[in-house]
Amino acid sequence: MIWTVVQTSWRRLKNNRSELVLTFVVPILFFSIFAVIFGSRDASSTTPKIKIVVCDEQKSPLSTRSMERLLEQKSLRITNKGSGDTIAVITRSQAEDLVRRGMASAAIVFPKMDANAEQADAPKIEVLSDSFDQVASQVMTAVVQRSVLTAQAEIAKERQAAIQASNPVVLVSGVSSSTNSPVDGQVISGSTIGSMSANANSVLEPKMASMPEVVNVDLMGGKKTNPVVAMYAAGIAVMFLLFSATTASGSLLEERENSTLDRLLCSRLTMDQLLLGKWTYLTIIGCIQMVLMFTWGSLVFKIDVLRHWEGFAAMTLVTAGASSSFALLLASLCKSRMQLGWVSTIVILSMSALGGSMVPRYLMSETIQKVGLCTFNAWALEGFNKVFWRELPLDQIGSELGVLTGCGALFIVLARVFAIRWERT
Amino acid sequence: MIPTLSSPVKSDAVVENQQALKVENVWKKYGSNQALRGTSFSVMAGERLALLGPNGAGKTTLIRTMCGRVRPDSGRVLLFDRPIHEPNVLQQMGVIPQDLAIYADLTARENLECFGRLHGLRSKRLKDRVDWALDWIGLTDRASDLTSKFSGGMKRRVNIACGVLHKPRVLLLDEPTVGVDPQSRQRIFDMLDELHLQGTSIVLTTHHLDEAEQRSDRIVIVDHGQVIAEGELSELIANTTGTHRLVTMDISGLMVAAPVGVRWDQERNRYLASVDDVAEELPQILDRIRSVGGLVKDLEVHQPNLHDVFLYLTGKELRE
Repeated sequence: MIWTVVQTSWRRLKNNRSELVLTFVVPILFFSIFAVIFGSRDASSTTPKIKIVVCDEQKSPLSTRSMERLLEQKSLRITNKGSGDTIAVITRSQAEDLVRRGMASAAIVFPKMDANAEQADAPKIEVLSDSFDQVASQVMTAVVQRSVLTAQAEIAKERQAAIQASNPVVLVSGVSSSTNSPVDGQVISGSTIGSMSANANSVLEPKMASMPEVVNVDLMGGKKTNPVVAMYAAGIAVMFLLFSATTASGSLLEERENSTLDRLLCSRLTMDQLLLGKWTYLTIIGCIQMVLMFTWGSLVFKIDVLRHWEGFAAMTLVTAGASSSFALLLASLCKSRMQLGWVSTIVILSMSALGGSMVPRYLMSETIQKVGLCTFNAWALEGFNKVFWRELPLDQIGSELGVLTGCGALFIVLARVFAIRWERT
Repeated sequence: MIPTLSSPVKSDAVVENQQALKVENVWKKYGSNQALRGTSFSVMAGERLALLGPNGAGKTTLIRTMCGRVRPDSGRVLLFDRPIHEPNVLQQMGVIPQDLAIYADLTARENLECFGRLHGLRSKRLKDRVDWALDWIGLTDRASDLTSKFSGGMKRRVNIACGVLHKPRVLLLDEPTVGVDPQSRQRIFDMLDELHLQGTSIVLTTHHLDEAEQRSDRIVIVDHGQVIAEGELSELIANTTGTHRLVTMDISGLMVAAPVGVRWDQERNRYLASVDDVAEELPQILDRIRSVGGLVKDLEVHQPNLHDVFLYLTGKELRE
């Protein structure tokens, strides 16, 4: 009896192609996606580089040399790097602006030195970071310290060599020889020799360089009450927006399966009106979902929605619209509700993984980050991050709004094209 | 006085001899399958027409072509002399699909309101028509219940009501009584009779030949994508099987010779005789059987019906 149950269940699975795919193919697919995302981190060519800008207000040999050493760091990509090994000059405020706008994960600033400060004082370097990229801010401190220390050591070594060249003092068996050395045959007392030796050493050995003081300034997250939630809320919201939209768009296939679509299209309703009606409904539901989620986030997790309501409203509208269009496109491509179920699961999870809804994109290799831009999740997340994390005004999220609006329009047009087959069969 | 089905009193709105629906030489091919091969027939205003055919004959394609859901490769469908694909022409047609094309997660009233709106009904007119429909299908007291909770027959009634809210002049019904119990079937046909009396032309496909016989004025039989016969039942019978009755007899006793006009049917294991006038010819046959020593234990007189016509024309049972 038990074996009959097992056998029947297996036969049912075997005859159900979609269930077979979900059971055996989808896990392998997602394993592969995550393996590509994280597995490539060891490969030097695709290891994510930290995008930084460098601002040298100090213009000292140490700052110049430190910047040269920073240029050599493979883990960094200096975005204000000019041609060759030169670095374009930017001001501190420009550097801050680039970090705030997300163009760079951090800015390294060599501030102007105090006029009274001595060269031997500990050099002060500021790292203006965006704690959205939690890895970058921590790595930067260590990288900067290492680069400055290397620069200090090189400068000290060069200075020592220069002094040696201009003051050739040679101590041989306790006897010094120099241009000011006593003339040959002069008798030098032991105390004189000792004194000369001490003077020579004091010239050759520069003062010990102090450890650089790296000050980390969090430009973005400092004032926020709950920055982590603000960061991830959008990711989760976009993923579930897609899931709920595709589930609801399945009503189109259900209507087709039970002939309700025939009845609808025999009324005054046209396919254009039907699709636009579904799109409007899905968009409204999506907006309500987002508002509810962020209201909850605002009440419980202190996400500051009210202060960013303009950006939130704009991003919510275009994201919900694009999700609705995408859901209708998937529905128009599928033959049955069951097929839509497994196709949407695969597509949405893949898009969410690549687009940053599951794992922050800064953790991915550069190649995968570029691939992720093909998903509209990435654009939606970037838009929401600009609103809530970077606190940028509406005009600064124009590219995200544009891409999402374009995607929404393209998807709904494609859905309409594929729906032609339902109009007149 | 309530009109009887045999002598319906039709609405004054019905213009006699007006063609309500005309299918003209319609061809349709799906891949290598030629579903329709020059199908032509017409439905008169206020007429009830039964569309019959074995499975795969092209009925569904024909129905979908008539309601504009399938564009024919050639030929055309006219509704009151206007091509079906012209704007607003379909408003004069009501379509009742074989499937339950209603929203199970809406109440009966919500379903009716939805389809009423889609057919252009608004405000008071919509409310009046919905109230009428609920009364017509006998579900006024269940108007606020979800249709998912309804029995099969109740769902069918809602399904039909959703297609007639806008008072269509032609109603296409694809197997409207499939899967319902006899009481519900009777109820549904009473509803349709009411519409017919108001002047609505009704085109009905069914697998129940008795329904087609009793509930239609004319019959069209389709096979291999073509109309192979059409007309009133009596015409079909006269043109196919003939009008004679078939007498089937169980005879005992040892007959010395085969009676004149009686033959043995191996398949039925009975004696058969054909008669045109039962009252006059049957006693003569019985006498002849007795005269040769036979004794009729049982007999059955079979009047030719639609089933015989169908079998004669298609060589198949309707459900084959």
